[in-house]
Amino acid sequence: MNGIHDMGGMHGLGEIGYRENEPGFHEPWELRAYALVQAMGTGGLRSHIERISAADYLRMGYYERWFTALVSRTIETGVITLSEVESGRADPTSVKATTALTPADARELPFRTPQAEQDIELTPQFHVGDRVRGRNIHPTTYTRMPRYTRSKMGVVERDRGVFNLPDSEGVSADPKPQHVYLIRYTADELWGYEASTNSSLYIDMWEDYLEPA
Amino acid sequence: MGTKLSQHNHDNAQDYTDVPSDPALRVKALESLLIEKGLVDPVALDVLVDTFENRVGPRNGAQVVARAWVDSAYKQRLLDDGTSAIAEFGYSGGQGEKLTVVENTPSVHNVLVCTLCSCYPWPVLGLPPTWYKSAAYRSRTVIDPRGVLSELGLDLPNDVEVRVWDSNATSRYFVLPERPKGTESTSEADLATLVTRDTMIGVAKVASPSLGGVS
Repeated sequence: MNGIHDMGGMHGLGEIGYRENEPGFHEPWELRAYALVQAMGTGGLRSHIERISAADYLRMGYYERWFTALVSRTIETGVITLSEVESGRADPTSVKATTALTPADARELPFRTPQAEQDIELTPQFHVGDRVRGRNIHPTTYTRMPRYTRSKMGVVERDRGVFNLPDSEGVSADPKPQHVYLIRYTADELWGYEASTNSSLYIDMWEDYLEPA
Repeated sequence: MGTKLSQHNHDNAQDYTDVPSDPALRVKALESLLIEKGLVDPVALDVLVDTFENRVGPRNGAQVVARAWVDSAYKQRLLDDGTSAIAEFGYSGGQGEKLTVVENTPSVHNVLVCTLCSCYPWPVLGLPPTWYKSAAYRSRTVIDPRGVLSELGLDLPNDVEVRVWDSNATSRYFVLPERPKGTESTSEADLATLVTRDTMIGVAKVASPSLGGVS
């Protein structure tokens, strides 16, 4: 969706606030929230983050967004109810769940490397060196194609293999496995005469995001 | 048990996000609720917090970089397949599949960003700093990388090509910074102490020890 989260190339979004060697978190609740998210599973949470209204999104910090998305998803999937969230107490009629993540699992989970690549043979539509153009699409649902790449021409640098199309998450029963390509765009192509000198941008694009150029 | 999350009634979950309140209290309240419902084991939560706090971080990445500087065969393995090469140190985990290592040289400078969220090479760098997740860094690094780098204290001459890596998909990137001059006889362990997190994101250069830590 054309949401506030898709902010590559925008101006006016405040200060970077750079601090050398700043730690990854500042308050204990941030790590607690992040641990809750990991314990409950991260599946589909980015899409919930992107549905936070733009004003709230910009006001919230990173961990607050994750936490808000977790609440939103657990309510949407019926794991907890809104009245339980508001009261802070479990509905006495609800059945006690079986904990998904045991302490032993928790020791392993952060170090488990996910296997998103699909072991499927598919004929790639594009090859290294091909010129491709980002399709001019404006899905209202989840996508990993940033809007600044639309209609822009780039060159295939690498074939990453076959992965499911993230856009199909929660929208289509078909995971739409397809090749993902590393694409190189020149800064001039993306940003015209405003572009940084002698610069380029590399990004992975699913086949559905691209057309021949 | 449980702190009240909100003083108001709401028709749907989205309204909930509109209620400003202390996030620490809201997190604590949800944690209590999920534990009460049996959805979360509090000991498992403590294990996760300990891991994020103490067991991962940029020291992992610094060791990988130092090894690559002193061992050219390792460096080649790292550039060929980052995920396998960091596994030689026992490093692995979420956001580590398809780790792509990009090498800074006198003529090419790489810098990482995630415009859509905050994707980051977790197994080697741990949790990202706040500035990396800021709206300004995410929005500006792709359109004005030289300006952003300059603002962060790194001025690059125009004959150095700048490559921006927007981590939007499964791949995660990790910058192999340039080995500073004057470190030819420095040990691998001492080299690792020179490598900061920001040099592996690509917003700084590794300082030469002879310059007293100023990059």
